[in-house]
Amino acid sequence: MKKSEFYRELEEVLEADSGSISGDEVLADFDAWDSLAVLTFIAMVDEKFEVTLTASKLALVKTVTDLVALLGDKITV
Amino acid sequence: MQAVISAIEYDLPEGMLTNDMLGAEFPEWSVEKIEEKIGIGVRRIAAKDECASDMGIRAAEKHFASGACNREDIDYLLFCTQSPDYFLPTTACIMQDRLGLSKSCGALDFNLGCSGYIYGLGLAKGLIETGQARHLLLITAETYSKHIHPGDKSVRTLFGDAAAATLIQSSDDAEMKIGPFVYGTDGSGGKNLIVPTGGFRTPRSDESAQVVDDEQGNLRSQDNLYMNGSEIFTFTLRTIPKSVKELLSLSGKSLEDIDLFVFHQANKFMLEHLRKKLNVPEDKFYMSFKNYGNTVSSTIPIALKDAQSEGKLKSGDLVMLVGFGVGYSWGATLLHWV
Repeated sequence: MKKSEFYRELEEVLEADSGSISGDEVLADFDAWDSLAVLTFIAMVDEKFEVTLTASKLALVKTVTDLVALLGDKITV
Repeated sequence: MQAVISAIEYDLPEGMLTNDMLGAEFPEWSVEKIEEKIGIGVRRIAAKDECASDMGIRAAEKHFASGACNREDIDYLLFCTQSPDYFLPTTACIMQDRLGLSKSCGALDFNLGCSGYIYGLGLAKGLIETGQARHLLLITAETYSKHIHPGDKSVRTLFGDAAAATLIQSSDDAEMKIGPFVYGTDGSGGKNLIVPTGGFRTPRSDESAQVVDDEQGNLRSQDNLYMNGSEIFTFTLRTIPKSVKELLSLSGKSLEDIDLFVFHQANKFMLEHLRKKLNVPEDKFYMSFKNYGNTVSSTIPIALKDAQSEGKLKSGDLVMLVGFGVGYSWGATLLHWV
């Protein structure tokens, strides 16, 4: 998946305006980034990438860039 | 000789916790959003002096009242709970007396959560098909609400109290009615769904009773139930689809052969995701958590009873049951519904 497509998926999880995410955002700044959003994100990644994230690794993530890094080469430029 | 489920009854406590009640207590929370996501409208909550065994007894009594069996015929009682009356004696022994069951009846407790019903069916099948029992009651009952801190909305939203009593009897039928079974255990996940204190590993103390705020605004102490939702969810994603495939291959069945799938009724979010991942059509995937919440080991028998009452589960149907959760522990089996 392209990085831009990933951002659109993430905007849905975070209930953010389309086009509002560009990579440097801090996840804690989004009111919607709660435990339920984390589950929604895990479900989205499982569905779109067929990857089951490690919850403990996800718990350490701070920014959108960290989320991209978590998916490694599954996300292309 | 085959073990057969002949009837299921369940009992719910009178107390209710609705989404409006939760919304009033946690005004910062979007009740509509939560309801949409998890699909739970009401959880039933046991009274202060109401134990899991009390609900279990009421569920069992319904079998005697309906004439499904005579109490003197019951020769084995299996009681699945993580909310026993005492450390000792065994709650099932107290229930034998309260139910007026025969003194030649075997009785034991086993401690499992959301996988408990599958394990209970496995034990019941073993006892019946080796001739150790003929009329067995498998009672599942839980009062997780007593483990939960009132300020912990994350788990208060999900769990409800309930009990179910499944009557399993021996039949001369030659065809297998319960089984085969797939089991699984991964104790490394124990810390992710736990009441940390109260056993001998960590006795309760003033210190353990200190209430702290987690980063999500939930209050709890070490004496309360803790659940790491994302760990439990990823465990489920890693484990359950694999178990479903194992069970199908073990039984020589395909997904299309199954008439009804009854998974542990955790919540809508988790079940809907699993359903899609497994490609199970909606009309074959039963859901029944709306009026109860997650009742732990009783979700599957409650769902079976409801599905039967609604005409969605009929005689001759092949049903897949899958239970998973605290432990981690999981199990899956097939039922030929009679």
